[in-house]
Amino acid sequence: MNRLNRDTIIAVILLLLVGFFAYTSFAIKTPVFERLAPGQMGPGVWPRIILTGLAIMGLIYFFQSIVSPPPSGEKRGGLVGWYRHYKNPIWCFAVFAAFLTIIPILGMLIAGLLFVFTLMTMLGPKDGAAIKRHVLTTGGTVGGMWFIFACLLEVQLPKGQLTGTFDEWLLVNICGIVSSIGALFADAGPSCSALLASV
Amino acid sequence: MIFDNIMLATSELMSISTMLLMIVGVVAGLIAGAIPGFTIAMAVVLVLPFTFGMTAVQGLATMIGVYVGGLSGGLMSGILTGIPGTPSSVATTFDGFPMARKGRPGLALGIGVWASFFGGVISAIVLVLVAPQLARIGQEFQPWDYFALMAFALTVTASLAGDNMVKGLIAGLIGLLVATIGEDGVVGVPRFTFGSEAVQQGFAFLPVLIGLFAFTRLLSDVQDTKKAQQNLGAHSAESVRIEHMKAAKEVLSRWGNLIRSSLIGVFTGVLPAAGSSISNILAYDQAKKYSKTPEKFGTGTIDGIVAPESANNATAGGALIMMMALGIPGDIVTAVMLGALLIHDVVPSPTFISEQPTIAYAIFIAFFLANFMMLAMQSLTLRGFVAVTRVRMYMLASIILFYCALGVFALNNVQFDMWTLFWFGVGGFIMRSLGFPIVPVILGVVLGNIAENALAQVIAISTDPTMFLMRPWSLFFIVLGLFSSFFHVYQKNRAVKRWTLGFIPAMCVCLSLPVFMMDGVVRPVLGVGLGLFGVYLIVQRARSGWQLPKAEPVMEVGDL
Repeated sequence: MNRLNRDTIIAVILLLLVGFFAYTSFAIKTPVFERLAPGQMGPGVWPRIILTGLAIMGLIYFFQSIVSPPPSGEKRGGLVGWYRHYKNPIWCFAVFAAFLTIIPILGMLIAGLLFVFTLMTMLGPKDGAAIKRHVLTTGGTVGGMWFIFACLLEVQLPKGQLTGTFDEWLLVNICGIVSSIGALFADAGPSCSALLASV
Repeated sequence: MIFDNIMLATSELMSISTMLLMIVGVVAGLIAGAIPGFTIAMAVVLVLPFTFGMTAVQGLATMIGVYVGGLSGGLMSGILTGIPGTPSSVATTFDGFPMARKGRPGLALGIGVWASFFGGVISAIVLVLVAPQLARIGQEFQPWDYFALMAFALTVTASLAGDNMVKGLIAGLIGLLVATIGEDGVVGVPRFTFGSEAVQQGFAFLPVLIGLFAFTRLLSDVQDTKKAQQNLGAHSAESVRIEHMKAAKEVLSRWGNLIRSSLIGVFTGVLPAAGSSISNILAYDQAKKYSKTPEKFGTGTIDGIVAPESANNATAGGALIMMMALGIPGDIVTAVMLGALLIHDVVPSPTFISEQPTIAYAIFIAFFLANFMMLAMQSLTLRGFVAVTRVRMYMLASIILFYCALGVFALNNVQFDMWTLFWFGVGGFIMRSLGFPIVPVILGVVLGNIAENALAQVIAISTDPTMFLMRPWSLFFIVLGLFSSFFHVYQKNRAVKRWTLGFIPAMCVCLSLPVFMMDGVVRPVLGVGLGLFGVYLIVQRARSGWQLPKAEPVMEVGDL
């Protein structure tokens, strides 16, 4: 597929999408109980203005792709060549989508560990030493980030349906230790300040 | 009043925790900026989730620290390895790397650091002086002017896409369309939600931005398996010592170049979406043109480092001017800051400085301080840079993708935001692969609701479209937008086609009309001056028979 075809196809898809959105925009209606004041812009006006602009630009793009096609200097390799070229991003998207899907089941921590390790192993070397490095890096970074967000920033990270008890246990024990240390410092704070002030 | 504001902002900013956060931000920015392929915007995006729990002043101060650090960090790898850490330091490598190879890496680094520092300080001064004045002008804006300004911002952004201007405009319009998804702001009618309750509130801005920008960027970095598995570029920089004293003297002795380049940086920063990646090249080009020894450029000349480094740091001041005075982000970093302000229920607009003086003045002071911190931390981070560049890209990308998801979730504690991140990541990657620029989409998303509100106000007041041409500021932005749309064509054909000789004079004459129409005495006088200048250029060129000047080699920003 040369660039002329590609650009033309993109322009056609864009115009079809614009048409679809334009059609949908007519379903945007102000409710009967919400009367518009005189001169008030309806909710469908602005999207239609944008879609008109997009349609004009899409048409220019379409004619541009036919009249002055860009030089085709790309390697051709069919579907296999295309897959080879985009293999890593495709896998990244797939693994990321899987990660988001399993978060409600395994929770943020375990899903995150699996995600980072899987992605590293897919994108990087797969020998023993590399796997060991991936395990250590994943544990350190994901664990560290989980600790910062869950314990220090006190963000309620998603707990898994299967691992809810484990997540709870981690929160109580690890974050509990941190908060008791924090409380210790807080208690010691005023006396330290007083000591410093007297010095 | 100003003194009170400064005192109030200083007291907010001068707590130990805020100062520490700023230092951490500067160090993080310096290291992130030094990593090739890791942009400043990415660093600021990654810091963002940590700022959710902070006060607005603390969060912004930290982000400004990262911003300033990142702008200066790029010079380390640019000078020591020849690979610019960020696009802002591309021109620094032209002379910085040759100087380092000639055995003066310490001096090259020193010149870069001090030029960055002075560039930053000059732009901080311009920021403090110009932003309140521009905000005052911004308060004159009526909805017509505001709408025309938005249109201008999008046109400029699209025109920066160069040959792909149509693609740039399509991208900007797609951004505007994305901003319409969800409930309409006036009557609350859902638009393009297709029955989904999750989309009812619209897409949160930050997941969209992170998805479009960070996700897309990371995936591009790991697309090539070989490159993804390589180190980020570790070189022996442990033994390098920055020659501060000599470098500072050398930079100050070139004050003309320093001030010119800094002003180029500020001006570029003011233009929406024209960031430091452009200003450093422009400043280098100008420094070469004004130099008595242009042939020495590219061989390790000091002016060749001073120009890009002062310009790229000065760009931050320009971008902040636009964000603070008019509520329009000058680049992606200020778009993120704008998002951060919105989280704290602060809406940047022309009234921002007068309504939120503490935050506004804290930004001024933080920007000023961050430059000093950068200067102090540069030597320290040189070692950190060496350590970080041993990491491999695929590992960094995997960790950052997880971190992006975590950060986006922390924003509203909503899992749907992570899916937003994902889908906009996919969309952004496809668009980028097809040659559509991403920045106009982001600007479209940011400006979408503001533009719609301005248009709603316009229609509520009058349905007469000629009002856009009758109001001076509106006409000014329309004329500027039209000329900026054709600027790339002009730049491409300059000194080649005869019509280009009339471009600048025509622009001056056309712009003189709205400036002349403005209130007061100064602006109409300026308008007359601008018009006369345009006429003078036309007469001068007509006298010389519209002869084309000798073609000079011009640096093509778009090529880089």
